[in-house]
Amino acid sequence: MKPFTYVMPTTLAEAGEAAKKPDTIVKGAGLDLVDRMKERLQTPSQIVNLLPLKTEMAGIAVENGELRIGALTTLTQLEQHPALANRALEGLRHSAASTATPQVRHRATVAGNLLQFTRCWYVRSEAHRCLHGGRGPTCLAMTGDNRYHSVLGWMDCVRVHPSNLAPPLLALGAEYSTVLDGKVRRRKLSDLFPSEPRAQLAEHTLEHGEIVTALHIPVQPEGARSSYCESREKLSHDWATTACAVRLVMSGDTIAAADVVLGAVSPVPRPRPDAAKVLVGKKPSDDLWKKVAELAYAGAVPLSHNAYKLTVGKAIVREALEQAAR
Amino acid sequence: MTEPKKVLATFQVNGEPHEVAFLPHKTLLEVLREEMNLTGTKHGCELGECGACTVQIDGKPILSCLMLAVDAVGKDVRTVEGLANGAELSQLQHAFADLGAAQCGYCTPGILMTADALLAENASPTRDEIKQCLAGNLCRCTGSLTIFEAVELAAARCRGEKAEPSKESIYGS
Repeated sequence: MKPFTYVMPTTLAEAGEAAKKPDTIVKGAGLDLVDRMKERLQTPSQIVNLLPLKTEMAGIAVENGELRIGALTTLTQLEQHPALANRALEGLRHSAASTATPQVRHRATVAGNLLQFTRCWYVRSEAHRCLHGGRGPTCLAMTGDNRYHSVLGWMDCVRVHPSNLAPPLLALGAEYSTVLDGKVRRRKLSDLFPSEPRAQLAEHTLEHGEIVTALHIPVQPEGARSSYCESREKLSHDWATTACAVRLVMSGDTIAAADVVLGAVSPVPRPRPDAAKVLVGKKPSDDLWKKVAELAYAGAVPLSHNAYKLTVGKAIVREALEQAAR
Repeated sequence: MTEPKKVLATFQVNGEPHEVAFLPHKTLLEVLREEMNLTGTKHGCELGECGACTVQIDGKPILSCLMLAVDAVGKDVRTVEGLANGAELSQLQHAFADLGAAQCGYCTPGILMTADALLAENASPTRDEIKQCLAGNLCRCTGSLTIFEAVELAAARCRGEKAEPSKESIYGS
């Protein structure tokens, strides 16, 4: 690892000030960052450690009915919190509980999960010079070994977004708060990800020095149920090959509102509103799930090694719908 | 470029203070092994994927290869060296020895620390709970079955039961 200056702020204002300095990275637990720094993929001259601010930036609270999740809340805390022990938030709870391993979940933070770097093996290899981050002339995965890469909504870079909390949070209509230059901003979670995920863009849209402080989940309507399913090669400690989060709002045995979000198949988590709207006004059935799964992957363009993602991904959509409706 | 400066800090490891000078970009794993000579904690994959470097921070198992040492200052750090009471092995260590729940032994310290944290929270874990708990610890030679049995044996002995390993576990069926 390249040496760096380490800042331990005592207030958020102090952290924000330090975060603005050039060549600076802000960290929570830093699991992904330490990994990349060891590989010399990231060599900041200064790191701002947010962990001393845990008292104000970690924890889950109900504020005016909505759920406020501090950015530094760990995945274990999220999984075990009683506020998530209900059908409406089950998708988010399950997603937190199935991330990586217990050791990782004890430290990994909610914001860190959303802001983690892609797992693309070309991007994460110092020996490969790819288009991501302007290190090379072309996306090496596009013509190389792309079994874990995008099938949907990719442009000049076929990396996938690795966060498994993002799909359920998007399905639940979550928002995020940040602070930059002392100014607090609150936006829809979809704004955290680039609308056109080109190679030169980061996985997120944060400005330099901007710090995520919390996530907000709005009050869920009566009859809301969520689910999260993913396919992966190992039962533990693996990233998804495809993922799907669903939120259904049931009115009796009819679906009154629906959200479907795909993960692990595109450079950003992908809400699929055209698929979701087909659910509205219908009763749950496997025929309906099949139709929605097809629509969720409408327009997908697989690469040379990942056509399986379409078959597996559609099955995962059906399973997520079934679990939410059950 | 100027030489990076070491920082001086006191770590609480296995209930004892350790005053150590270390470079701030070193991981907890590196500082434990190289500065404190606590080499029971193992370097495995260095990517957070194998669990060999597991130690406890404030009673929770975490990966020391992905934690900067500076983040562990002020925390209660426990390593595999802290399990035994002097020359007396812990129940968990005894059970692993009785059952031969190790082959090359490289993953064992990490597994012991993860399982120890489980038994501290749950005196009677089910087989499924043990599996979930050890899902982040890879063993590439023994296989997981004897390891699960050893955790169950230790749990039973900790509860005061007179449990002995079954003959099938030791000699095979």
